[in-house]
Amino acid sequence: MDVLKLKVNGRNYEVETDPATTLLEVLRDKLFITGPKVGCNTGDCGACSVLLDGRLVKSCITNAFITDGCEVITVEGLAEPGELHPLQKAFYEHYAAQCGFCTPGMLMAAKALLDENPNPTREEIKEALAGNLCRCTGYVKIIEAIMAAAQELREKRSMIARKEVS
Amino acid sequence: MAFKVIGKSEKRYDGLAHVIGETKYVDDIFIPGTLMVKVLRSPVDKGKVRHLDISNAESFPGVAGIITPEDVPNKYQDQPVLASSIRYKGEPIVAVAAVDEDTALEAISKIKLDIEEEEAVFDPLEAMKAGAPKVRPEGNLYMYGKYPCRRVVFGNIEAGFKEADYIIEGEYFHPTLEHAPIEPWASLAVPGADGRLTVYSMCQSLHLTLGWLADVLHMEPDDIRFIKWAWRTRQRGSTSLSDLKYIGGIIGGSFGAKWDIQADHIPAILALKIGRPVKWRWTREEDLQYSIYRGAWHVKIKDGVKKDGHIVARQIRSIRDAGAYTTFNAYVVEKHCWVASGPYFIPNVHVEGYCVYTNKPPAGAMRGFGITPRTFAIEVQMNRIASQIGIDPWELRFINAYRQGDQTPTRRDLDSVYLIETMQALAKKAGVKLPDRLMSMTSAERGNK
Amino acid sequence: MANTLFYRAADLKEACVLLSQYGKKAKILAGGTDLMVAINRKLLLPEILVYIGNCGLDYIRVEGDSLIIGAMTNHASIVRSTLVKEKAPLLLEATKYIGSPSIRNMGTIGGNLVNASPAADAGTALLALGAKLNLVSVSGVRQVKVEEFFTGPGKTVLKPSEILQEVLIPSQNENSKWAWYKLGKRKSDICSVISVAISIEIEGNLCRFARIALGAVAPVPLLAKRAGSLLERQNIDKTLITKAAKAASEETTPIDDVRATAWYRRKVSETLVKRLLSQILE
Repeated sequence: MDVLKLKVNGRNYEVETDPATTLLEVLRDKLFITGPKVGCNTGDCGACSVLLDGRLVKSCITNAFITDGCEVITVEGLAEPGELHPLQKAFYEHYAAQCGFCTPGMLMAAKALLDENPNPTREEIKEALAGNLCRCTGYVKIIEAIMAAAQELREKRSMIARKEVS
Repeated sequence: MAFKVIGKSEKRYDGLAHVIGETKYVDDIFIPGTLMVKVLRSPVDKGKVRHLDISNAESFPGVAGIITPEDVPNKYQDQPVLASSIRYKGEPIVAVAAVDEDTALEAISKIKLDIEEEEAVFDPLEAMKAGAPKVRPEGNLYMYGKYPCRRVVFGNIEAGFKEADYIIEGEYFHPTLEHAPIEPWASLAVPGADGRLTVYSMCQSLHLTLGWLADVLHMEPDDIRFIKWAWRTRQRGSTSLSDLKYIGGIIGGSFGAKWDIQADHIPAILALKIGRPVKWRWTREEDLQYSIYRGAWHVKIKDGVKKDGHIVARQIRSIRDAGAYTTFNAYVVEKHCWVASGPYFIPNVHVEGYCVYTNKPPAGAMRGFGITPRTFAIEVQMNRIASQIGIDPWELRFINAYRQGDQTPTRRDLDSVYLIETMQALAKKAGVKLPDRLMSMTSAERGNK
Repeated sequence: MANTLFYRAADLKEACVLLSQYGKKAKILAGGTDLMVAINRKLLLPEILVYIGNCGLDYIRVEGDSLIIGAMTNHASIVRSTLVKEKAPLLLEATKYIGSPSIRNMGTIGGNLVNASPAADAGTALLALGAKLNLVSVSGVRQVKVEEFFTGPGKTVLKPSEILQEVLIPSQNENSKWAWYKLGKRKSDICSVISVAISIEIEGNLCRFARIALGAVAPVPLLAKRAGSLLERQNIDKTLITKAAKAASEETTPIDDVRATAWYRRKVSETLVKRLLSQILE
């Protein structure tokens, strides 16, 4: 057992864990942050996707110890408590969540995409979601939601930019 | 009249919780002191447990309780919860509850298991033959009362074939399909101080499975084996349905997979035995290999068709590979038979559906209860008829489609029939130009019969 | 019970010392996209994990005639690199569809090679590029060609005491042409059914040299040497392409598995080599 220091969704944690464990095990079993899901534990389904220092990773195959000192964002940390991130709002309004099990991972993959590319094409969205499976086959709604959220974020940004200019 | 919901886009009642990650699926529920389950699964397809020694596992540090076939006399439908007579590879034999999954796995590796292997059969067509290895002592066919198959007879099939200008036969195979919901099986059982047991379940039909689970847990107080259920005996003398609190309704996808209880009974029994919360979660591999799935089908069709395209006789023999246990297979075959002839009026129909046991994990319900493979077989057969007698496949379907007032082979008089109109709309959407004589047909009249 | 020891090597030297000390007991941890799957599936429980993420092995640079990529460089960095785009576009193309975005963010070029999957996309591309690998241990550095590196599924010439340090890709000239094709059951996040990488140097129609590599058709990523030699120092035309494609297919030793049959792989190897060579010639 070793001690691991981690910042998750803005909070600092110290966790005692075995080095052969994964970031997902630490998040769920030690910190009870259950947004990221165990779907396959082999890096295939993407239900466990989180942002690790801003990069999209599959927490089920990310060794916990290499995340020491890193910052992790899960679906619970997408927005301030009581608020919705534009992606969350769009997923809700566009019926992009069916059973909901893949949704936390989908949202994180979408967030990683929009952080890098604020104006993605449908094709680019599909590429970005390549590692996230939705068995309810709701991909069309998910893509529409991401397009809508991207637009809202762009509008917000240009409003801020206009304010700064004036 | 103003509607509250109709005509409006309502948000999903659970949508908000989904997008903020607040939805608690079974595996997201953590209760302090919860023990984790792993099961020893059969390494062989068929056989009998000759010798089972769990002493080294019982004394393994971190193990809280173990159950073997002897401990669980009650069955789940026709399935033993833990088997000593093995019918498929992967069948649970021993369940271990320990402080964590790694400990449970290591304890399992200490179990001494000796199985006398027996000859297995995997192909349902082979399993139906006389002299085939017996999957079950009573035989390899599910018995519908005293009949080996579900039969639907309408009109006179032989007369129909005599009347026909063509006899067209087809044989269709539908493979096994796995539902593969993104959420693998999990269940959490929590014994309460009041003697009631709370089970967090991911079953899709709780009211149905509640009864099945209660069946498994029900025990007579004077049953000697009941002594083993130490915790429960201490709390109460007997069990009734009200002792079981079943919580669920939050499911990470099912597609029919979660009709059966699959994971609820073993943690429930262990929780009752030990008196602590017990969770069992399957790995993705376990889920893919051992959870229920859509069993394979073999559908043989013989049709009698007139020159003008009217189908006057349809004989179907369907075989369902049920795997080792019944689950929903018997009903799936039944439903398949009710609608086997397709959405077409055929005056002479003869259907036989067999539910055949093989040494594979039990198959179960999946999206459509046997209708989907039927649709595949029938619609390919329709195209085959069309090409063999030289008629447009659309026209063949229009000629034979159910009309208002037609009777189905199960003697149901149909109303609200709009198949013709549906096909017309479909053709338009697909950009298929159909001749006027088809576009002017309606479901209200049979036409030039 | 798991009681793995975790070492975060401060530099390459320390990592080498740890390996020389623990040998087979130690497993190198890079991105973990293969290793952690094996651990999760209980196929492996290493006694010692040596993490090499802090050893300064994450670099892409040009040195003399070679493009050099550190073993800890992840696939996403390779896809984004302008240097790779300029010097080894074949590798960039092959790396684009390794796993999914989240896998490319963690998975490394070194891991792709050391894991030695017969279907390794980077391995196949590097074979065609004629890359060399620097293997380092306490006793120094030795260099091997990629085609000598793989010895079987999951097996390489790497000794328990050695670490793959970097990949050296010889520079291409204006006559260098390349082609890449990955055939999978879907476009992304999928193990290759077959992958083909071709790198040739051609003046007009005269082929100076040709390297044709195929993934997932043999126990190791395969360099189709006979197919390549048929083209070298020849004027390439349709007949020769057909011959080389047939030779490449004959060099494969595929197996039946869940992704495809051996028969299919042999057939499609021929088709793909033919198609890619024709593309290059146009």
